[in-house]
Amino acid sequence: MVKLTMIARVTDGLPLAEGLDDGRDVQDAEFYKQQVKALFKNLSRGHNDASRMSVETGPYVFHYIIEGRVCYLTMCDRAYPKKLAFQYLEDLKNEFERGYGNQIETAARPYAFIKFDTFIQRTKKLYQDTRTQRNITKLNDELYEVHQIMTRNVQEVLGVGEKLDQVSQMSSRLTSESRVYADKARDLNRQAFIKKWAPVAIVLGVVILLFWARKKIY
Amino acid sequence: MGTENPNHANNYSRPPQNNNSPFSSSRPVVGSQASAFRPTPVLSTPPSGPEVSTFRPTASYVPPTTGPFQRFSSPTPPPHTSPIGQPPAMRPPPTMRPQMPPMHMGSSPLSMNGAVNLQQSQPSLGPTNPSAVRAAPSSAWPGYTATPPAPVSHKGSYGPAPPQPAASGSFSSHQGGYGPAPPQQAASGSFSSHQGGYGPAPPLGMYVGGPTPPAGGMSGLVEDFSSLSIGSVPGSFDAGLDSKVLPRPLDGDVEPSSFAQMYPMNCNSRYLRLTTSAIPNSQSLVSRWHLPLGAVVCPLAEAPEGEEVPVVNFATTGIVRCRRCRTYVNPYVTFTDGGRKWRCNICALLNDVQNDYFAQLDATGRRIDLDQRPELTKGCVEFVAPAEYMVRPPMPPLYFFLIDVSINSVRSGMLEVIAQTIKSCLDKLPGSTRTQIGFITFDSTIHFYNMKSSLTQPQMMVVSDLDDIFVPLPDDLLVNLSESRSVVDAFLDSLPSMFQDNVNVESAFGPALKAAFMVMSQLGGKLLIFQSTLPSLGVGRLRLRGDDIRAYGTDKENALRIPEDPFYKQMAADFTKYQVAVNVYAVSDKYTDIASLGTLAKYTGGQVYYYPSFHAAIHKDKLKHELARDLTRETAWEAVMRIRCGKGVRFTSYHGNFMLRSTDLLALPAVDCDKAYAMQFALEETLLTTQIVYFQVALLHTSSCGERRIRVHTAAASVVADLGEMYRQADTGAIVSLLGRLAIEKSLSYKLEEARNAIQLRIVKALKEYRNLYAVQHRVGTRMIYPDSLKYLLLYALALCKSTALRGGYADSQLDERCAAGFTMMALPVKKMLKLLYPSLLRVDEYLVKSDDFEKLCRRLPLAAQSLDSRGIYIYDDGFRLVVWFGQMVSPDISRNLVGEDFAADFSRVSLVQRENEMSRKLMGIIKKLREADTSYYPLCHLVRQGEQPREGFFLLSNLVEEQVGGMNSYVDWILQIHRQVQQ
Repeated sequence: MVKLTMIARVTDGLPLAEGLDDGRDVQDAEFYKQQVKALFKNLSRGHNDASRMSVETGPYVFHYIIEGRVCYLTMCDRAYPKKLAFQYLEDLKNEFERGYGNQIETAARPYAFIKFDTFIQRTKKLYQDTRTQRNITKLNDELYEVHQIMTRNVQEVLGVGEKLDQVSQMSSRLTSESRVYADKARDLNRQAFIKKWAPVAIVLGVVILLFWARKKIY
Repeated sequence: MGTENPNHANNYSRPPQNNNSPFSSSRPVVGSQASAFRPTPVLSTPPSGPEVSTFRPTASYVPPTTGPFQRFSSPTPPPHTSPIGQPPAMRPPPTMRPQMPPMHMGSSPLSMNGAVNLQQSQPSLGPTNPSAVRAAPSSAWPGYTATPPAPVSHKGSYGPAPPQPAASGSFSSHQGGYGPAPPQQAASGSFSSHQGGYGPAPPLGMYVGGPTPPAGGMSGLVEDFSSLSIGSVPGSFDAGLDSKVLPRPLDGDVEPSSFAQMYPMNCNSRYLRLTTSAIPNSQSLVSRWHLPLGAVVCPLAEAPEGEEVPVVNFATTGIVRCRRCRTYVNPYVTFTDGGRKWRCNICALLNDVQNDYFAQLDATGRRIDLDQRPELTKGCVEFVAPAEYMVRPPMPPLYFFLIDVSINSVRSGMLEVIAQTIKSCLDKLPGSTRTQIGFITFDSTIHFYNMKSSLTQPQMMVVSDLDDIFVPLPDDLLVNLSESRSVVDAFLDSLPSMFQDNVNVESAFGPALKAAFMVMSQLGGKLLIFQSTLPSLGVGRLRLRGDDIRAYGTDKENALRIPEDPFYKQMAADFTKYQVAVNVYAVSDKYTDIASLGTLAKYTGGQVYYYPSFHAAIHKDKLKHELARDLTRETAWEAVMRIRCGKGVRFTSYHGNFMLRSTDLLALPAVDCDKAYAMQFALEETLLTTQIVYFQVALLHTSSCGERRIRVHTAAASVVADLGEMYRQADTGAIVSLLGRLAIEKSLSYKLEEARNAIQLRIVKALKEYRNLYAVQHRVGTRMIYPDSLKYLLLYALALCKSTALRGGYADSQLDERCAAGFTMMALPVKKMLKLLYPSLLRVDEYLVKSDDFEKLCRRLPLAAQSLDSRGIYIYDDGFRLVVWFGQMVSPDISRNLVGEDFAADFSRVSLVQRENEMSRKLMGIIKKLREADTSYYPLCHLVRQGEQPREGFFLLSNLVEEQVGGMNSYVDWILQIHRQVQQ
């Protein structure tokens, strides 16, 4: 079952369209929408450039395709056939490109093509039931191959950015800590030097004092 | 002086109205006194703006002059006005040209008549341009171009005055008095001597104080003269109180123009009106103001052609807002540091200018790209909201209908009317291909309709389990209109016949409401409820309680005006949360408990339409028009509104139909041009240190085409330290609007009597305060004085007490009507409210019989029984209904021409249709014009013949606000009563 559908521009992650009353029967629709937005942000930074991908998240899977700088993404149940999901996205892509293909670059406001939601709504209904004759034929159709499509976990995908952050954080911590280390070492050196020569200096001082005292007395 | 001349000449040449003998008799008296005065007539002529029409002496003599003046006498000279004027001393009568040396505050407003006029006609006059002012005079008034510029001489200007008996009331006395007095007479007298002159004269003389006192010891008095004063002598003089001279808003709503001139970059007053455009600078001043201090906002008011709100898209920049107070960038922010920083006008924080918004400053400190930036030049703009302003994609326009199909609605014909109307509006619904639509009908069971686009006929599903309501289908109850159009059409065609023989009298309203909520909660939208009986089944059932006459006059009285069952308030809260706005259409001849049903509309930003004793044959057009308007007007969806204001000022309460989401965020699931919201503010600190206070209204909404937008209105108002100034800059319309809302809210928790008394008390206190301002310096004696800006306030307050929502007691209006009127008045914009309070009364028979002078027809008459002549035909128009009144002595020919052969029959069964004769065509033409003047409601036309009771009483007589109706005072008595209280 298709749960969510979102279309965004890859270059800057600007949302272009979204399915109507999406997430009606999803528990944490907001949470998943946030994940999708994070995903789009990642894409706009150029982290993942596979044009077709499935990303697992909790009980659901995000499927997305990137074509012509537009990302079409849908969220389905894990049990929903991958083949159908990508067919669905293909359908959306064809219609979207036909209708708005030339305006994608000039879209200046979010959800500029929100009118597309009626088409999404309509298409979604066709794909809702996997057992309809139409969908079964599609499933059996060998022409469309989805096996090579990579499946990854959402934590992994979103994690790429996080890990980079972690590395840079660690390195910066390293620099600052080594600077502290150097300071401390210099300090220690000085202390060692004092420890080494202090007794000698004291003895010498006492001797000189004695000499001086003797001179005074006599 | 020359500058005023065109004005005067014109005013005096108005068609004579009536010659008031008492006043002309006073002529000599005044005349003898005239030497004490500068040429007063100047004052009695308003530097009228375009609103002041030229044919009604009373109105046009009422000088709105004070408005503009205050500016000059304002202690805080605003940045945009040039203090131009003539000081009194500079005005020897022979000097014809206005001399305009810089004028300092405190100088008499009157002396500045010329300058003021100019200022009005050229609002954008630069501050440093006295020469331009001087050059402008003769061509400055577009309205007066018809009159050739009068000779620039005193003779020219005042010459026409004396023989002109046109003015009614004391104005004529004025003219009479001053006219003959040669203008050269040096003003050497004093104000009090003037009074003396008036003393023996008519007790209630409205006159404008003399102009600037001469250089002598009068300078201290200068302030007063700007106030229009009315003298009424209580007690023995009562009989002499002439109701003809009382101020009446016969020109409708005259907005104070000074505000807009002072800050030309302010948003238009149709969007935001302050009760006074002079903000008090201290708590003590606030406590002496007594009237409400606040604003009335109509965020989506319809803009006339050519003044559309500019749309700004910041695209990549993101919307420019202050970091701290989140104010949107507006014309009053200042750019500094070579354009790299901008200072927020509300919190004074210095913000960085983003790189893509940067522009160089020119030598005067203005951005060089100013002319391409509407947000920096206009007080009203619309920003395209970026994705951060959306919690979900923009919703489609959604209309859901919840229709009562019990016997009442079928019998009355409502069902048929709404089915037809909805069908005819389907093409005009906003939102083009995205619009969603759905229906539920109910009687004792609930009927759902599957409108799937692949069907040819809608499928009806009946749910009879009212205790545990469920939705029988997950989808297809709410469908895309363009896809399921044929099914929707088929449904609407068959709807009336489906329930034709329904004899069910029950109404499971509550459960049906819940079902509608379940269907709509995903998207939100607009829910239109059509209800024809009292909800009788399931949750939310109501009982008959409006007939309880014993409750009136007791402490339980107000309970009738609030919902009995908490279910309704709870549902309203849920609806708002899910962005559903509810409009209630109640049609019933029996009690339907509008108080409870209306709650749904009240908290969801909706509207209540009530059609008492609805019958399709009579009310069809009204319901049709209003439903069509509701469906097709431009609507903003899932909106929130917030008003921000400068430091030291804080908005404390909000009044209108909405739900408050946090302390200052108004949730408005659907909002349109016919809704206004009022709010009051208070000072947070004891003393305001700033010179100017800014207000900014921001409405974040989704337009019907699916764009998320932010509409921003910005206005500035100066801070004053002087109470007189506050009164001078008061805006009657906004004050009345706010007072009305407060009174209606009060009537929900107190007795009606107390709500009315509260209005009266506030006005008395305010007038008392105003009187105290001047009573010490001058012997105001027994005269009643009030600021010119508030001259209609008394009348409007009286009208408010007599309005359907607040009038009388049990018998004076039905509970349902009362509640419906209350809900309506809470949402009305200022102009509409004033029209409702003081409706227009036009005499049409002369126009019908002979003259083609439509202008003359438009002359509004005072709403008093005296205005009605039994030989005439009148039209009464309050914006909600039209009453055509036939005098008893109207010739039968005319009646026959207008209403056909039924002219002698009972008028309650006669309807006005166009007939094949000139007279009927003319009358219908007038009615059509009146209806087109304001399309937000459809005024239904009622015919009434003089003496035909009880209809005449119901439709017209009880609405003549100046008469003594239902235990309320007449206008004259009201003035006397207020005056007496003020003097105590």
